[in-house]
Amino acid sequence: MLDIFRAKETGLLAVVVLLGGLLAVFGGSVTIKQRDPATGRVTGQVEVNKFLQRANFDNILKSCSWTAVMAVGATVLIIAGGIDLSVGSIYCLAAVSGAMLLRAFGPTGPWDGASAVWGGIAGVLLTIGVGLACGIANGLMVVLLRVHPFIITLGTMSIFRGIAFVTTRAQAITDYPPAFGEFFRYSAGDLTIVPIVIVVLVVAAGHLFLRHTVPGRQVHAIGGNETASLFSGLPVGRIKVLVFGLGGLAAGIAAVISIGVFGAADSSTGRGYELDVIAAAVVGGASLSGGRGSAIGALLGALVIQLIANGIVILEIDQNYTEIIKGAVIIAAVVLDRMSATLGERRMLRP
Amino acid sequence: MTTTSPPILCFEGVTKRFPGVMALDGVTFDVAPGECHALMGENGAGKSTLGKIVAGVLRPDGGVLRLDGRAIRFRTPSDAAAAGISIVHQELAFCPNLSIAENLFLSRLPSRRGWVRWRDMQQQARGMLARVGLEVDPRIPIERLSTAQEQLVQIAEAVGRGARIIVMDEPTSSLSQVESQRLFEIIADLRSRGVTILYVSHRMDEVLRLCDRITVLRDGQHVRTRRASETTTDEIVQLMIGRPIGECFPAHKAEPRGAVRLDVQHLTAAGRFEDVTLTIHGGEIVGLAGLVGAGRSELARAIFGIDRFDRGAIRVDGRPVTIRSPRDAIDLGIGLLPEDRKRQGLVLSMTCRENVSLAMLPTLSRGGWLNQRRERGMAGELFGQLRVKAPHADTPTASLSGGNQQKVALAKWLARRCPILILDEPTRGVDVGAKAEIHALIDRLAAEGRAVLLISSELPELLHLSTRIVVLAGGRIVGEVARGAASQDVVMRLMAGIASERLN
Repeated sequence: MLDIFRAKETGLLAVVVLLGGLLAVFGGSVTIKQRDPATGRVTGQVEVNKFLQRANFDNILKSCSWTAVMAVGATVLIIAGGIDLSVGSIYCLAAVSGAMLLRAFGPTGPWDGASAVWGGIAGVLLTIGVGLACGIANGLMVVLLRVHPFIITLGTMSIFRGIAFVTTRAQAITDYPPAFGEFFRYSAGDLTIVPIVIVVLVVAAGHLFLRHTVPGRQVHAIGGNETASLFSGLPVGRIKVLVFGLGGLAAGIAAVISIGVFGAADSSTGRGYELDVIAAAVVGGASLSGGRGSAIGALLGALVIQLIANGIVILEIDQNYTEIIKGAVIIAAVVLDRMSATLGERRMLRP
Repeated sequence: MTTTSPPILCFEGVTKRFPGVMALDGVTFDVAPGECHALMGENGAGKSTLGKIVAGVLRPDGGVLRLDGRAIRFRTPSDAAAAGISIVHQELAFCPNLSIAENLFLSRLPSRRGWVRWRDMQQQARGMLARVGLEVDPRIPIERLSTAQEQLVQIAEAVGRGARIIVMDEPTSSLSQVESQRLFEIIADLRSRGVTILYVSHRMDEVLRLCDRITVLRDGQHVRTRRASETTTDEIVQLMIGRPIGECFPAHKAEPRGAVRLDVQHLTAAGRFEDVTLTIHGGEIVGLAGLVGAGRSELARAIFGIDRFDRGAIRVDGRPVTIRSPRDAIDLGIGLLPEDRKRQGLVLSMTCRENVSLAMLPTLSRGGWLNQRRERGMAGELFGQLRVKAPHADTPTASLSGGNQQKVALAKWLARRCPILILDEPTRGVDVGAKAEIHALIDRLAAEGRAVLLISSELPELLHLSTRIVVLAGGRIVGEVARGAASQDVVMRLMAGIASERLN
C-alpha cells in the first residue's frame, strides 16, 4: 500500500487535484437555464460552479484524449531513448486516410448503400494501420540508416504531412456515414464515453507493456544504456523499430478519436501536436535521456496541460497568454520533478 | 614528524557530507613540500573526495585547508589552479573533440585582440608535451589518444601552468605495467623539480615504491599516516580494512582439465590482432596478459560478436560456430564481463534485479509476459551467493560501490548459467575487500567446470588466478607460460620485449 504514496505518479496526481481545486474555488459560478426535457421550455435557472460542471469535465477529458493517447506512445519511445517529432504528421496522415475511406461509405460516396458498421470498422483499421506503418517506417530508417531519431522524424514530419496535403488536394475530408460520428459522440450523463474508454484502454495497455512484458523491460534497458543492452544480447534494433511502431500506432488511435469526434480531417490536422505530446510525456515524468517514464504519468501530464488551457478560459485570463503560460508550466513541472527525484534518491541512499 | 620545512598543505578537521554519507569526518594531517604523499583506503573511504577538495572540485563543509600556512577556500578548480594546484584524473578532463593544443590552453588561449594565435599555441604545446616525453602532434584531437597519453597531457597541462602541487587520482588504474613505469619516471622527474604530489591509489606495490609517506583513510576518517620506508603491505591493508586479512589471492588449487570448451583458431582482424590461436578447457582459467593496446579487449570483443574479424574460426564444445552478435555468443553460452562496467556492463538507471535478469528475460517469461516472482527469487538467490552489499535486490544499481556493481554485472552471466566466461579487468576500480571476494568467486566458477578467459592489467592477479598465462603483444601471441613457470618477471619481459621493439 505504501507503494502508492511512494510512486512517482502520486505527486503528479496531487498536482492535478490541486489545479482542479484551485479552479473550482477561483473559477466562480455561472447561471444555467433549466429546461424541461419534454417541451424544451425554460423552467428555472441554477447556479453551477464553472469548473465543477459535467459539461466542463466532458470538455477537458475529450480535448485531452488524443494528446493522452499519443503521449503514452511518446513515453514508450522516450523511455527507449528515442523521440518522435512526426507524431502530429502521422496523426494527420492517418486521420486523412481513414477519412477518405469513410467518405466513400458516406452519403456522397460510391459505397453509400454498404453496411455503415463495416465501413466504420474499415475506416478505423485503415487509420490505425497507416499510423502503425508510418511509425515502423520511422523506426526502420532510424535503425538501418543509423541517423539520430530527431533528424529522421524531423524529415518525416514534413514528408507525412506533405503526403496528406497532396492526396487531399488541401481539401477537408468530411461526409462520413452519420452513424460513425454518432457512435464517437455518444454521451452518457453528459460525458462523451468512447474517447474516454479508448484513453483508459491505451493507458492500461501501455502500463502493462512497460511494467510486465519482456519487450517493455528491454525498452527501459536500451534507453538506460544502449551499449550495455547490446552487450547483454538484447535485440536492440528490433526493439527500436517496435517502439517507433508503437508511437505510430498511438498516433493512429488518436486519429480515430479525432475523426470520430470532429467528423472531418484535412492536411493541417494536428499541426504542432508533437510539442503538446512530448510536453505531456515529459511533464508525466519521462526523462529525455531515456530509461524513465510511465504510461499513467503520460495521462496525468496530458491532463495537466489540458487543465491549464481550461483554467485560462475559466479564470477569464486573456486567451493570448495561453501559450506563454503553458510553456512556463512545462518548464516548472520538469524542474519540480527533478527536484523531487533528487530528494527521493537521497532518502533511498540514507543508511 | 621529521620534516624540517613547514608543511605545504595542512588538513585541519576537514569534513564533507554527501546525502546520507559522511564522506570525510574531521580529517587532519599535513603534506611536506616536495614529497610524494599517498592517500589510501577502500572505495568510499574518502580519498578521492579529499583529492577533489584540494583541487577545488568539491568544497568542504567544515574544517580548514591551509596552503603554506594560510587558510584557503577554493570555489572552483580554477581558484585551485591559480594557487598552483592541479588534478590529474580518469574522468573526462578534456573536450575530446578539440585538439591537444586547444585543450592545453583551454582557459587561456593565446590571442591578440580576440583572435587566437594558433601558431604560438602549437609551438608552446609542443614544448609542454616534450617535457612529459609525449611525442605526438598537438593538432590531433584528444579522442584519438590512449588513456595513458591523455593522462600525460593532463600532467603536461599541470606542469605548464606551473603547478606546485599535483593531485593524481588513481593514475595507473587503466595503464599497463610499462605505461605505469613511464608515469613513475615522470613523477620522479616532477619531484626533482620540487613539485609536491598527492597520490590517490589502490595499488600497494606502487605506493610503497613511489611515495614518502602514506595516509590511510577509512570510512571518511584519518586512520594513520606512515612513512613508506617503515611500513609493510600487510600493515597498510590492515589499516585500510580495519582487520587483519589472510591471503589476498586464494591460490587456485584444483587443476581440473575438462574437455575443450572454447577453441579459437587463427583469429585475425586487421590492425587489431593477428593469428590468435587459443583453447580453454572446462575448469581452466586462462590469463591473457598484455599492454593496453595489445589487442586483449579487441580479441574478447571479437569472440563475443561485438566486432567482426577477417579470418579464423571459433569452436564451442568442438562444434564450429558463427558468432555475428552478442546474442549469438550468449546463446552459445558465452558471457562477457566488459572492461567498462558503467558504460558496457550495467544499466545504471535500473535496479540490481533488472540488471541480473537482463540477459535471460525470455527464459523468465511466457508469451512475452514477465514472471516477476521468479525473477525476484533468482536475483535474491544470486545476491546471497555473491554476498552483494545492498539492502535488497531492488536497490538502484547506481547506488552500489564499484565492487558490488561488478558482482551484479557478473551475476547476469551466472543467472544465465554461461559455461564460458570472458572477464575483462574484473577488479578494476574495486576495493581490496571486494577484490578478494571476486578473486575467490572466479576461482570457484572455474572449479565448477566453467572455462574462464581472464584479462587483467594487474600481473599479480593473473599470476595467482590463472592456470596458464597467454601473453599478447602487438596483436600477436608472443608466449604462453604455464602456472608453475609463471613469474612477474617472465611475463613482463614477454609483454615488454615486443613493445620496445615496436617503439624503435
